[in-house]
Amino acid sequence: MTCRKLRKLMPLLAGDDLGPRRTRAVRAHVSACPACLRELEELREALSRFKAAAKDESVPDWSEGEWKALMVRAAGGTARDGEKKRAWGGHVLLPRWAAASALGALIGLVVLSVLFRGPGPGPAERPDPPLALADAGRAQDVVSMTMVSQETGLQIVWFFDKNFDYKGEQE
Amino acid sequence: MNETEQELITMVLSGRAEAFEPLVTPYRGPILALAYRLTRDREDAREVAQEAFLKAFRSLGRFDLSRSFRNWLFQIAANEARDRLRRAKRERAAFEAAAREGIAAAPAPEAGRERRETRSGIMRALDALGRREREVFVLRDLQELDIRETARVLGCSSISVRVNLSSARRKIREAIRRDFPHLEEGR
Repeated sequence: MTCRKLRKLMPLLAGDDLGPRRTRAVRAHVSACPACLRELEELREALSRFKAAAKDESVPDWSEGEWKALMVRAAGGTARDGEKKRAWGGHVLLPRWAAASALGALIGLVVLSVLFRGPGPGPAERPDPPLALADAGRAQDVVSMTMVSQETGLQIVWFFDKNFDYKGEQE
Repeated sequence: MNETEQELITMVLSGRAEAFEPLVTPYRGPILALAYRLTRDREDAREVAQEAFLKAFRSLGRFDLSRSFRNWLFQIAANEARDRLRRAKRERAAFEAAAREGIAAAPAPEAGRERRETRSGIMRALDALGRREREVFVLRDLQELDIRETARVLGCSSISVRVNLSSARRKIREAIRRDFPHLEEGR
């Protein structure tokens, strides 16, 4: 291991946060390199004094009244939150972005289902057109055209005779 | 987690809300200190810690008894502090935008509070860290969680914790050299 590589690892080494394999390699280098050893010791000292100073500094504390009020507030929330829990089948703490994404996906699905709704029931489900005549000979002279609306699935069948004269329609 | 904590949790879940206070009292100081070190503001810290305890109470039914209760509380408080800092950043950005446009907007509460707050040297040094670096440094070095616990509390990988911890310690070292030479020299 080189001095340069060791210095990159030094902040983690100073807090004993390297894995055992790396620690062994680093220790081997440090024991043979007085400059790295000195730097490591200085870093350890500085960090340890900083931590001690941080722990000694005054941090805010609760007043007894404030703490009691908080506990009362927490306990007072039981019934309300319990009801919510039951209503939703369990309390779920979702981040706001997750809730927004879920809502967006739901709206997207609804829009897509409206835009790309498939055709309605196929012709087979419709009653036979009245002009699909029982007489096979005449039936050959009849031409039908079916229009299907992609938006609504509505079908209209137009019937024409062999001269392409309009004979009627059926929805 | 110790047995007493398990018993107290069971009592709270069975409807005895009064058991919540002895359950969380050992953590009232550490949670407030964590919130203060993450938000760097006394008022914000108080609100974050309050919200963390209220959320802990509401979510206790989902707590995994095989986990450490302390780390679970830390996780809630860290998330709460992060949300609060994001909101404060958005508010500050909106205020600065309004100020740039010459709109006579009321000063953002955080801006005023920040000016009033007399920052300790430690807090100023923590200011030099990025959000994730600060979270990792506070949890690992000041709250003394190990790497795995820190990763779990922050919901990230151990590698990410190591990377951020390394850069946080490097920056703290620079801040010590620059602002606290007495700490370096051991005076």
